[in-house]
Amino acid sequence: MNKFIVLLKKEFVQMLRDLKVIWLPIVFIFLGITQPIVTYYLPSILGALGGGQGITIDPSMTAQKGGEVLAATLGSQFDQLGFMILVISMMGIIQTDKANGMLAFILTRPVTVISYIAGKIVSNYLIAAFSVTIGYFVSYLYVNYLFTDVSFSHMITALLFYLVWVLFIVSFTTMISTIFNSQGIIALISIVFLIGCRIIVGLSPVIDFVNSASMSKHAMEVLISGSVNSKAIDNALVTLFWIVLILFVINYWIANKKVNHE
Amino acid sequence: MWKMQLHYGFDELKNFDFMAVIPIILPFIAVGIFLVLLALIDLYRYRKTRESVLMWTVIILFVNTLGPILYFVIGRKDSERL
Repeated sequence: MNKFIVLLKKEFVQMLRDLKVIWLPIVFIFLGITQPIVTYYLPSILGALGGGQGITIDPSMTAQKGGEVLAATLGSQFDQLGFMILVISMMGIIQTDKANGMLAFILTRPVTVISYIAGKIVSNYLIAAFSVTIGYFVSYLYVNYLFTDVSFSHMITALLFYLVWVLFIVSFTTMISTIFNSQGIIALISIVFLIGCRIIVGLSPVIDFVNSASMSKHAMEVLISGSVNSKAIDNALVTLFWIVLILFVINYWIANKKVNHE
Repeated sequence: MWKMQLHYGFDELKNFDFMAVIPIILPFIAVGIFLVLLALIDLYRYRKTRESVLMWTVIILFVNTLGPILYFVIGRKDSERL
């Protein structure tokens, strides 16, 4: 436990040095602001710049409910650009340690592989969750100001659901980062796989059940309809199961020295 | 031809109520500019050790939002090897 704290501290020092603590939250604040503002001003922007003589703009677009806009923040900002940025910022999470020999060095010390992995994932998850939460809160404030109010309990529930999905993103990227050696391939595989997961949500109930990305859909549903889908808890448990499985794979991979450190 | 475009573009903008919009959009622009400034300041501080300062300056300034992010993720890591 003590070593875990030390490794955690090392990760945070590294992030502070990379300025990741500053820019990742800012990026998510930026994404969070974008959706409400663009939705709010889209009709007037189109009207002003689109050469819009003769175009009528559907008034129902401006009359969106707050919950729908907040759900769109999750669905079309955080789940696309936001999560790509998340993956790209974390693609080197273990790969850099492999590349510069840090991993081999750490493993010569009396440090268990588990505490090393836990330090990595916990620190990166904390910063990712912090960024997502901050961006989401800013979006929430804007939505309440520009559209109808979203109830606080719905907002928190949706956030919790979404953070489960973020945890899956973080651990999956860590696993890919452990297995592969090139940053480009890591980013490509993670992004393609996770976007694939996100796209196939809603195709069939069976796939949805094992698909972690449906947590994101549940979060959006809470915001739009205001009721929690009964499958959400099952999905959260399945996601946790996947995460534990991923941890085992990482542990196995590192412990059996399958990492070839050039 | 130019007159046509002006008519479609800027003339219509006059109908746009800027004073009502500014307080809402200002934080949005401020956050964007802050991100760009942060990247530029960092690039300037380490300009001696970075490989292609000019290229990154252009990317940070002109690639919208993604430029500073790319710099922080990829641009800073190259320097550590030097």
